[in-house]
Amino acid sequence: MIPEKKAEKTPVVEMRRISKHFPGVRALDDVSVSVHGGEVHVLLGQNGAGKSTLVKTLYGAYQPDAGEVFVDGRPVRIASPADARRLGIAVIFQEFSLVPYLDVAQNIFLGRELRGRLPGMLDHRRMHEEARRLLAPLGAGFATDTLVHRLGVAEQQIVEIAKALSQRARVLVMDEPTAALSEREIRTLFDIIRGLKAEGAAIVYISHRLREIFDIGDRMTVLRDGRNVAALRPAETSVDELVRLMVGRQVTTTYRQRFCGSPGDPLLDVRNLHSRSGVADVTVSVRAGEIVGLAGLVGSGRTELARAIFGADHRSAGSVRVGTQSLEGGPSAAVAAGVGLVPEDRKAQGLALIRSVRDNLLVAGLRHLFPGGWYRPAAAARSAADLIARLAIRTPSPTRLVKFLSGGNQQKIVIGKWFTAGARLFIFDEPTRGIDVAGKADLYALAEELVGQGAGILLINSELPELVAVCDRAYVMRDKRIVGHLGRAELSEENILRLAMHHG
Amino acid sequence: MRSVGSRLIVLAVLSIGLAAATNAFLTVSNLLNVLRQASLTFLLASGLTLTIVAAGLDLSVGANVGLSACLAATVIKSTGSIAAGVAAGFVCGVVIGLLNGALITALRLPPFIATYGMLWVLHGITYWYMAGETIHDFPQGFRSIGSGYLLGVPVPIYLMAVALAAGGLFTRYTTYGYELYAVGANGEAARLSGVPVRARLNLVYMLSGAMAGLAAIVYLARLNSAEADIGEPLTLPAIAAVLIGGTSLFGGVGGLFGTLVGATTLTLVLNGMNLLAINANWQPLVTGAIVLIAVGVDIATRQRMESRA
Amino acid sequence: MGNGAPFVPGRVFSKVPGVAYLLVVLAVAFAIFESRFATVANLLNVGVQSSILLLLALPMTLIIMTEGLDLSMGAVLSLSTVVMAFALVNGHSVVAAVARGAFVGLAFGAGNGLLVVVGRIPPFVATLGTLGIAQGIALVATDGQSVVGVGARLPALYRATWLGVPFSIAVATAAYLVFHTLLYHTRFGTYVPALGGNPDALVLAGVRAKTYHMAVYALGGLTAGFAALLLTGRMNSGHPIAAIGMEFDAIAAVIVGGTSFERGNGWLPGTVLGVLTVGILKNGVDLMEVPSSLQVASIGLLVIVALLVDQLRGRLRGRA
Repeated sequence: MIPEKKAEKTPVVEMRRISKHFPGVRALDDVSVSVHGGEVHVLLGQNGAGKSTLVKTLYGAYQPDAGEVFVDGRPVRIASPADARRLGIAVIFQEFSLVPYLDVAQNIFLGRELRGRLPGMLDHRRMHEEARRLLAPLGAGFATDTLVHRLGVAEQQIVEIAKALSQRARVLVMDEPTAALSEREIRTLFDIIRGLKAEGAAIVYISHRLREIFDIGDRMTVLRDGRNVAALRPAETSVDELVRLMVGRQVTTTYRQRFCGSPGDPLLDVRNLHSRSGVADVTVSVRAGEIVGLAGLVGSGRTELARAIFGADHRSAGSVRVGTQSLEGGPSAAVAAGVGLVPEDRKAQGLALIRSVRDNLLVAGLRHLFPGGWYRPAAAARSAADLIARLAIRTPSPTRLVKFLSGGNQQKIVIGKWFTAGARLFIFDEPTRGIDVAGKADLYALAEELVGQGAGILLINSELPELVAVCDRAYVMRDKRIVGHLGRAELSEENILRLAMHHG
Repeated sequence: MRSVGSRLIVLAVLSIGLAAATNAFLTVSNLLNVLRQASLTFLLASGLTLTIVAAGLDLSVGANVGLSACLAATVIKSTGSIAAGVAAGFVCGVVIGLLNGALITALRLPPFIATYGMLWVLHGITYWYMAGETIHDFPQGFRSIGSGYLLGVPVPIYLMAVALAAGGLFTRYTTYGYELYAVGANGEAARLSGVPVRARLNLVYMLSGAMAGLAAIVYLARLNSAEADIGEPLTLPAIAAVLIGGTSLFGGVGGLFGTLVGATTLTLVLNGMNLLAINANWQPLVTGAIVLIAVGVDIATRQRMESRA
Repeated sequence: MGNGAPFVPGRVFSKVPGVAYLLVVLAVAFAIFESRFATVANLLNVGVQSSILLLLALPMTLIIMTEGLDLSMGAVLSLSTVVMAFALVNGHSVVAAVARGAFVGLAFGAGNGLLVVVGRIPPFVATLGTLGIAQGIALVATDGQSVVGVGARLPALYRATWLGVPFSIAVATAAYLVFHTLLYHTRFGTYVPALGGNPDALVLAGVRAKTYHMAVYALGGLTAGFAALLLTGRMNSGHPIAAIGMEFDAIAAVIVGGTSFERGNGWLPGTVLGVLTVGILKNGVDLMEVPSSLQVASIGLLVIVALLVDQLRGRLRGRA
């Protein structure tokens, strides 16, 4: 950590030596950050570097395992979002805290309504006046009696800011605020931020859009693997240096023994794909024997693309071919064509927790194993037992409910169920999230075995070192488009980050 | 099967209690009567069970019986053919089931709203159709479906056994039945595993309607008369039977054998109330209270089931 | 996502609430095809008949806005008429009798609130259960018979008119004003759409969401109990199953009026229009001598048409 040497006025908020552990993961390790009034302090780092955890600790959603938080130099304990609010810390959520069918003024004053003269009645006039007063410097173009669900994302954000200001917030935390905004709206937001700065507010700004960071940031803290690796000012640094600071961990584990020298037949051919979820003009391909990476930062559209290919989200234009046939329709068509999806949220979307290991392993393969519709329990039990053995799934019995298994074993089931379905093209969305090192090694060994037998894998992984260590090549996504393709020789964390972050 | 054992124990305890409370309980004729009644409830509740397993609900089953029975009655009377009447009632039930399925999968109405609305629409159509009349006096052959005996055992019990066997076959030996449980346990995960969820839902609502149609025939045969309100008191006991039997309202768990145990338990309670000369007006109240208790147990069990070990 | 610019008539079409169209179309159709429809006497009759339904539909609107449902209202109302009738037979004043009926309703409403909010039982199951219980109690207490002999004061009150406005319409109007004030001018009313649309926001704002949520159901029961005043007056007696099924009409009126099960969306004036629409439909169908049993089917059809009209308006407005 590079300490600030100059003597300065007391920071509005200081987080000193904060550590936070979760089972199996050290999210924050001895992190110190000071946020001063009248400044925009940027938090920078890759996915999983700890930005989100730090912010959640600040507004009371998490309690730190070690370290202290100081507000105006006084130590405080922030046990809940209400505490944070009382201390003047506000987080600008996007959908979290607005009620769709109430109007702007009602949302701003939710829980703190202004009373009128008659008992029990509200003073709408004063609330709307107050709301207008709060909104005026923010350049809001909408009336205070507009129902919030009618507002665009940028306008809702302005309402959130007004809400925070009405609670006399002195620290505003903004997490990826420009993700859904147009150029013009970003300009407006930055004007608002500059106005807030002039009034002495402290702004914590999380983003990976480098151009914006250099535009609006006064100070920057770079996090990597839960540690604070640098505190800089934009004027003192460059894009390259930032990227180097964000990356940097050496790959210690070799996950893949042998890369694909001569890929086989095309398994997946996606052209000009558009989807209702926002995927725009994507063309990618995967051939037999390859592990192809899909890289990008949070919000870049990787999961949307995976789901669109699988048919889980509606495709509005473009084509998807699996092997030689064209794929139309939803997931059941994809499964019949031999595609398997390992979803990002394995518990909510990949498993039926109250069902057994066996049932979860068989559900995708039913039509493949029993095409006539007659389910034969004995044959099913055998298939399941084979799979359990082959994947080394650790469970006392095949009838054990899946919710009792460890994360790694659950993930093996989410992947393994596709074997009974005869899948040849696998789409893995964050398959190693929340899994320990041994589990990861098992999974990648399995992946290598699969592609060795002629399958193809499209791999989404936010852990760039893993992605680089495992993939034959990778596409990089940003803003729901493909912005680059890196072959084996060019595949590195820096190159990926550069493509993923360059906002222009 | 979700702790069917404990439910069987409850059933046994109830039986012993009733046998002790009144002499009239433990007679062959009373027990056969109880089983006959339970079989009727089971027939109606069997399709309903499957919809609940799939995390849905069919509130229209009682009204379905009403319309299907009245339709069957008029067909029997006007054509003189029992077979035609049975077919008419059955087809009516199936069509209603298909309509429910369409409302839920195509119009995406929540199941309780769709089937609740269907309930009232059927109710109205039935009342209009019957125009206040009663149809009674059916041929002996037909009546034996509901009131008759075969080898000393009431016919509906055989029908119940067939339905139970067919249902068991469906849920345990077909992929369709298997997939219903997956859909109920986690519909999105099932969809992302390639299960054609909408097709399965349409199937299960059709089955619920079909069983209601069949139950209508048996009820009609048993009561030997058809009036517009024939189906009204049937929905609540059917739901109660499913819930008492251990099938969870939230889907993915339970089965037909549980519903049979539930139907028998409920019938026992109501039978006991009759034997003990408790005013019949208490019955809807008791049934309602039982439903609430069963749901409460379901929720408590489910919360334990879904939290981590 | 709009598919191209909507043409101007479409824009107007989508701004006026759908229920207004239905109401006008139905009223005009009946006026044309049934000569007895468009008379002052008949329209007043529609108003009187609809008053009770409005009393049920108003709290139902709030409950639906919280993404809930109350199926027990009809049974609770029936039970309250029995309670009220018994009180009158025993010589109590009308006010005391109404109070008892309302209290019984409140008890059931509070019970619903407890089951749904604390017990976390899905609303339709919870209220289905309390429906059975309310119905059961009413049947046991009356052995299925009407409770007659309620005296002369109630019928006199019911038939009274003030400046030509019948008693029931006056009561219904007063109830509307109360609910309007509640929903649009009090804290409670602000929280109702939040309960349906984003309950987390309430919790984050430090509001005791559960208490307010239960209060919505309690209010429903209370109002249903109070509505016994009008129903007992109309029947001149109490009856254990007189109002069974009225909750369906209330739900239909609320949905036709534009309130949906979606995230706290609701419009109280729309409920009034919805009640009038249902009332006109029933009245017109009655005058045309269509059997009353088909009325229910026609109301179901009305709901489906209303939902389709709203979908169409949404599409024209450019919502996907």
